[in-house]
Amino acid sequence: MTSDSAQQLEISTVPQNDLAVDCHLQVRLKTEGERLLLILPPEAAMPGAASWFDLWQQLKHRLNAGERFWQANSTVHLMAQDRLLDGQKLQAIADALLEVQLQLQRVYTTRRQTAVAAAAAGYSVEQQPPTYSLNQTPSEPAQLLAEPLYLQITVRSGIEIRHPGTIVILGDLNPGGEVVAAGDIFVWGRLRGVAHAGADGNRNCRIMALQMEPTQLRIADAVARAPETPPSQFYPEVAYVTPGGIRIARATDFSKTHLLLNS
Amino acid sequence: MSRIIVITSGKGGVGKTTVTANLGMAIARLGRRVALVDADFGLRNLDLLLGLENRVVYTAVDVLAGQCRLEQALVKDKRQEGVVLLPAAQSRTKEVVSPDQMKKLVGALAEKYEYVVIDSPAGIEMGFQNAIAAAKEALIVTTPEIAAVRDADRVVGLLEAQGIKRIHLIVNRLKPAMVQADQMMSVQDVQEILAIPLIGVIPDDERVIVSSNRGEPLVLAEHVSLPGIAVNNIARRLQGENIPFLDLMAEHDNLLNRIRRLFRS
Repeated sequence: MTSDSAQQLEISTVPQNDLAVDCHLQVRLKTEGERLLLILPPEAAMPGAASWFDLWQQLKHRLNAGERFWQANSTVHLMAQDRLLDGQKLQAIADALLEVQLQLQRVYTTRRQTAVAAAAAGYSVEQQPPTYSLNQTPSEPAQLLAEPLYLQITVRSGIEIRHPGTIVILGDLNPGGEVVAAGDIFVWGRLRGVAHAGADGNRNCRIMALQMEPTQLRIADAVARAPETPPSQFYPEVAYVTPGGIRIARATDFSKTHLLLNS
Repeated sequence: MSRIIVITSGKGGVGKTTVTANLGMAIARLGRRVALVDADFGLRNLDLLLGLENRVVYTAVDVLAGQCRLEQALVKDKRQEGVVLLPAAQSRTKEVVSPDQMKKLVGALAEKYEYVVIDSPAGIEMGFQNAIAAAKEALIVTTPEIAAVRDADRVVGLLEAQGIKRIHLIVNRLKPAMVQADQMMSVQDVQEILAIPLIGVIPDDERVIVSSNRGEPLVLAEHVSLPGIAVNNIARRLQGENIPFLDLMAEHDNLLNRIRRLFRS
């Protein structure tokens, strides 16, 4: 990844349906007007093992990583969907939000028990019919990408970030960590873990990093490993798909050859 | 305000318990009152390393079951004033204690002791959750090995999610000669991945094994060895003192080694 402007990485193509990743399976935070929507993934989408504990951890990481962007004392509307939340869990969510000075105000749910618990805890509650969903359901093809997700975080081993749009990481992506985006992935730091751009199948997506030393790169259905011998010097680089597989170019060269020609 | 510090690593065998035992003694030598808590239920070792095994009567489980008072379970150390140990039960498993119970125990200790140091078990399951439940800060112990660093990274992520933001790094068992020969990760390599502040580097030393086997913490020795000095420095840095790091490389940077390196490269 040094002298050549573009370099072939080892490549293997995996059947599409093995790699088609659903990016909707995580806790999401979305600004809507002056309020913030906290959207929990539906229970059906995270069965069994993906427990309340995982959910709570995702929430904490998201809140820590985006802390700078919310105005203090903004109100939060919780989209609990079909999640069963008792008073204790609601309290845990409210506490986590309060740590970054956000106020839980309203709870939307399709479950009666969650509605009762939320009402008992003093939040305004809106119980929706079970069919109603704010998200596109996973089976529906995602037409438009979600707004980019910007996170100031070190993506450590065991942390997995999924988002149905572009992801920007201000920090390192460590080995053992994974970032999966329906759009592009920018890592303003070292990329040492696994990055999967265009996870819905878009081969035009790209992965960019200040220092590219990935465990594995994936774009749509293409997979590539980094060369066995790491380069002696690092430059900001861009990974993209060609008919021959995933290639990596120095960012400065990439903008000359790919971005200007296309315009 | 007393400080509640959990010592953890993710991977086993990197020296959590050894560090806990020595660090506890080192803090006490600075005149602080220290309670050491063994949170490794079912596989307790801390009492062994402290040489207090034969003085354990009650354990944390007995306290929780109401079979004794907390004071009765605490084992005092005769060699060093100010240190007590709350032993774990050996016969039970990690599921007998809940995070809430752990918080209660540690909270009671924090009322009487300036430092509560919790020795966490390896892994990230129930035992680990118990150990970190009450902690306000954490010391991550890792060796300069890729697996240990990977696990440490995972643990840092879990601690951050738990809201424990004050996290420091101890690199244990460093072999300066191997680092210089480029055969071992350097402290910088480890730090580059973990991205948390360093509080100490402990060199690999056979005397550590000897002291562990005898149950005599290094820092209590008459002539404190290099790893003992490293631990003493960690204790002082914990207190906020600004102590320069030991130059572990110096001894190995002699002319002969330089010539060797020249020929190798």
